[in-house]
Amino acid sequence: MGKYLKSIMLLLSLALLMALAACGNGETEDVEGDTDEEEADEEELSGDITFWTASLSGDPFDGYFDELKEEFEDMHPEVSVTIQDTPQNEMEQRVLTSLTSDDAPDVVNLNPHYMSNIASQGGLLPIGDYVSDDYQETYVEGALESGYYDGELHALPWYLTTTVSWYNQEHFESAGIEEVPTSMPEIHETATAISEETGNTSFFQIINDGNVIMEKMSTLAGDDYIVEDGTAVFNENEKIVEYFTTMQEMYDEGLISQENAEGGIGTAQELFMSEDISFLEGGITFLGAVESGAPSVYENSVAGDPLNDPDSPVNIAVMNLAVPANTDHPEAAVAFAEFVLNAENQLEFSKTAGTVLPSTVESLEDEFYTDPGDSPNATGMKAGAEALSTAEVLIPGTDNNSELRNLTHDAFVDTLIGNVDPQEALDQLAEDWNQSFSSEGIEISF
Amino acid sequence: MKNKKRIKTLLIYLIMLFFTVITIGPFIFTLLISLKGAQEGIFTTVLPQDPTLSNYVDAFRGANFGAFLLNTAIATGLAVPLNILFCSLAAYPLARMDFRGKTLALTVIISTMAVPFQLFMAPLFQLTGDLGLRNSYLGLIVLQVGTAFGIFLVRQAYLTIPKALEESAYIDGANIFQVWFRVVLPMIKPTLITLGIYTFTFTWGDYLWPLLNTTNSDMYTLSIGLAQLSQSFSGANMKLISAASLMTTIPSIFIFIWLQRYFVGTTSGAVKG
Repeated sequence: MGKYLKSIMLLLSLALLMALAACGNGETEDVEGDTDEEEADEEELSGDITFWTASLSGDPFDGYFDELKEEFEDMHPEVSVTIQDTPQNEMEQRVLTSLTSDDAPDVVNLNPHYMSNIASQGGLLPIGDYVSDDYQETYVEGALESGYYDGELHALPWYLTTTVSWYNQEHFESAGIEEVPTSMPEIHETATAISEETGNTSFFQIINDGNVIMEKMSTLAGDDYIVEDGTAVFNENEKIVEYFTTMQEMYDEGLISQENAEGGIGTAQELFMSEDISFLEGGITFLGAVESGAPSVYENSVAGDPLNDPDSPVNIAVMNLAVPANTDHPEAAVAFAEFVLNAENQLEFSKTAGTVLPSTVESLEDEFYTDPGDSPNATGMKAGAEALSTAEVLIPGTDNNSELRNLTHDAFVDTLIGNVDPQEALDQLAEDWNQSFSSEGIEISF
Repeated sequence: MKNKKRIKTLLIYLIMLFFTVITIGPFIFTLLISLKGAQEGIFTTVLPQDPTLSNYVDAFRGANFGAFLLNTAIATGLAVPLNILFCSLAAYPLARMDFRGKTLALTVIISTMAVPFQLFMAPLFQLTGDLGLRNSYLGLIVLQVGTAFGIFLVRQAYLTIPKALEESAYIDGANIFQVWFRVVLPMIKPTLITLGIYTFTFTWGDYLWPLLNTTNSDMYTLSIGLAQLSQSFSGANMKLISAASLMTTIPSIFIFIWLQRYFVGTTSGAVKG
């Protein structure tokens, strides 16, 4: 009897487990779009808005977003806001998956690549009709451009970073370098002088997925196009050929670390922290990991102008806010996005984050940016704010953007490690780009 | 002769030491980084100058680790027994019963292992939404319960048991459920433990599906919290990430150490005639 009782108890326990499992502590009821809301006065915003941020969780952001939510809900009592954070790398996949059901967010924080891809699949609401021209003029021009896909505004800019140079001041001083280099020969000379002094590699070229190299090529081309009407012409540009050639030579001479072939910003930060490199170009958030990982190196770090001709355009990296196409409350969603992005809230957010730039002209006039102090991070913000005058989105969002990035990444790495002649690599890359533009039917110039 | 044996032993130990260092080296390095204070550089010295547990405290608070740990523990605590139950139930007829389409059923189950998750991610997302499993513990573990791998593993274990044992139980008056539960299951205990460990490991570290199926961040799991820490937009704090990684990994290690004695059972007695 006891044996049977034991079996019955076991089965009952399992049944209880399953019942428990189906409960969870989350709210599964979706109250969006109920009848009362639809019948509500059209003038008054209403609905449940879900806002997905990208890698902005924990301190100090939680407090900031709690206040933001509270303030907006006070302004619009019929609107309820839920703010959730998603790891940045999975944002695109998560948004695309959520769009297949009724569980998509109403406002989402995307980078321009993700935005273009989701918009190309019809996943984002064109918001040009929801925001006035006057309102659009409150943004930094280059930043607003990043929100366009296929000629239509699909996103509004939030926070920005631009390219600056970062260098280890102690290494520069010991090598007798007084100014950051602004041309390829100067970069080569500077790296040689520092490496002779430190006995280490000295320069790092961030590659990421190839986007940084594409942006650098566009910067070096200056007023010239790198693609004309869907035909790549960068292989005929002397400065770009010089860039590929110099990188290969520096790698060969041991001025660039072998780990540079990996090319990620994380690798660059680790090498900078261990003082195995002395200068590089990066975003103004570059020092984030260095500040916690190598405090003494952080204290020696200084930001300067980008490592190119001062008149050349530099890329502006933008984080946008977009509204998914299947939102039930487009007016409330756009109103919430505008609220997050107003000058006052952007300034507060940038101060909270510490190392980003706001995208509204008014916020940038605050003394937080005009006179940020002389801490290493502050020098980065100041240099970044100054670079905004020549900053723009250098590579437009096209359907084949991901393919172009991959091709460029592989060509650059092959050149860097000496597998291929720089001119041959660029010729082949141009051919690959042309094939991609041709198969997609894209005739664009940039 | 004795010297030759000593050299051979020494060589074996050196090789073992080499592989041990390679295997646990990164773990030790992570541990050392996690113990370094705020003012200490990660790469300045190998050993922490002034060891501190503050990174563990900060990571626990900063990444909402308490809530995420609870979610992960509940999800894993559910997934392990449920997967063992469903796999052992599903595998039994595939090993012991004759019915039309048995081979086809087995082939279909095994072939699902070759389908990449990304292919059925969106339909699964819709399905779990329709079933009301969004933001629920069962929703978190839907991929880990009744796995094709588990069914195959348990079926193979059933096949090693002599049929005569089951037949004698039937003669003694047992029904099919009693034979399965009282005779067969105890004999494949090591396999069930192995499946339990696999399920534990996969559920504990599962990342993409819990992230997709969870639209309420209160239901996030440890691996999502870890990703949030490491993908911080201002750059990852390596000391915090190291501490958080260890806190995430340690339960798996303890579970493995606790259960590894059962692996001995798989081979002990195997050489007896």
